[in-house]
Amino acid sequence: MRTLVEVVARPGPGGRTVLPVVRASGQLAVRRTGPTTVHLVATAFGPLGGDDAEIRLVVEEGARLSVRTVAAAVVLPARGESPASVQRVLAEVAGELDLQPEPTVVTAGAQHRALLHAVLADGARLTATEQVQLGRTGEEPGRWTGTTRVERAGLPVLHTTVGLGPGAPAWLPPVAPRAYASTVHLGAAGTREVGDDAVRLPLVDGWVATAWGDRLIPTLTRLAALDRVTHDPALLEDAR
Amino acid sequence: MTAALLALADSRLPAGGHTHSGGVEQAIAAGIVGDPRSLEGFLRRRLETSGAVAGGLAAAACRAVTEAEAVPDGGLARVLVALDAEADARTPSPALRAAARQQGRGLVRVGRRAWPHPVWDALPGHPHHPVALGVAAAAGDLTARDAAAAAAYLAITGPATAAQRLLAMDPITVATVTARLGPDVDAVAADALARTGQGGATATVSGDHRTEVTGAVSWAPAGAAVGTWLPADTDPLMDLLAEVHTARGDRYFAS
Repeated sequence: MRTLVEVVARPGPGGRTVLPVVRASGQLAVRRTGPTTVHLVATAFGPLGGDDAEIRLVVEEGARLSVRTVAAAVVLPARGESPASVQRVLAEVAGELDLQPEPTVVTAGAQHRALLHAVLADGARLTATEQVQLGRTGEEPGRWTGTTRVERAGLPVLHTTVGLGPGAPAWLPPVAPRAYASTVHLGAAGTREVGDDAVRLPLVDGWVATAWGDRLIPTLTRLAALDRVTHDPALLEDAR
Repeated sequence: MTAALLALADSRLPAGGHTHSGGVEQAIAAGIVGDPRSLEGFLRRRLETSGAVAGGLAAAACRAVTEAEAVPDGGLARVLVALDAEADARTPSPALRAAARQQGRGLVRVGRRAWPHPVWDALPGHPHHPVALGVAAAAGDLTARDAAAAAAYLAITGPATAAQRLLAMDPITVATVTARLGPDVDAVAADALARTGQGGATATVSGDHRTEVTGAVSWAPAGAAVGTWLPADTDPLMDLLAEVHTARGDRYFAS
């Protein structure tokens, strides 16, 4: 099934953000849940192998947009030799975008490919998180491949592809984790930090933090130790 | 011009590569590499990530030079700077960036003398090693395919040699492990070459995001600059090892 979501955030009167475009078709619906927040709601089972979802976000200068989902996405294989399910997030940001979906769970036999391509204007702010668990409890892991490309003012800031799961050559034993979490932030500098199966790397006016492990919750805890600011709303407000 | 390729991939080329362990020194310290089997896993992992990235950048840089010679428009330096920025974006670890630039500088130093060519002046100062390698290949009259192969091969021979020294491993065993990866090196180089596109280094490319995430071809979006969707495979474990390594006071290798 093909899914297309489009949201445009624009500065409105009195410093508020208005959403002149909110469109969704296919497996996702969009609900405005706060002054600058939308939730994506899955309207169908899945995603299933072969599903294709594209999420286009535009945040104009002076506008803010937070994007959330209501539940984990559980990627299931199609019958037979399952093709990958695909999700592309294409973001043009001149204001501030905060993209923190719930985890993606890739079940046995399923393959999921995720792309975040964010094109930032000078002075834009971005926080984007990714949380992945391969396999449900007691189940073999599925395959996940995630590409992140962030450009700012015409220059590439970060471009990485991470492959996880059986057959992903870059994730061989003895370090073959089933949980993975990553946050990329632009708009405030971050220092280099190393942790237990976790690392934060500085970018120009930003940072990217990554953690991995067997289970997602402890992995998120170790990630949070690196990037406290993002995961604690109070600290986030302080940082503004 | 096969001899130039052999020289470029030769560990005796005094480009300074021998002072870098390609992450293997810290992998040994962390208990991840300790015998031939774990070394092979490490090399495969490195080949498929930093080897693929280096192969793509080297092939793209070599192709940029070749095509600029055919159609001189003064844009070569711009393309090489753009590729160097793509290398930075694919190397968020400060320790690995520093190592790549150090080795790039070392290669430029010997390459300028070994294969004199005006194209060396088009390189930015302290280029990433793969970008310098692509230019060296072009200066030595080699092809983009050669550049990709040399980059992928060097991604495993550096750490293999370092592991041999650090673990006092049997050289024949290490040579065997490296040789067994030969077909994988070729495959990574071929894929990297394919992803440099056929449209010309200074031209724009067409396609859309779908090709990138569904696998076969890697170009996106319409009008994207060269280098945009070259291989970007990364291994967060290598980033962590590199950052831990650089803070150590008792290391033998620079990276």
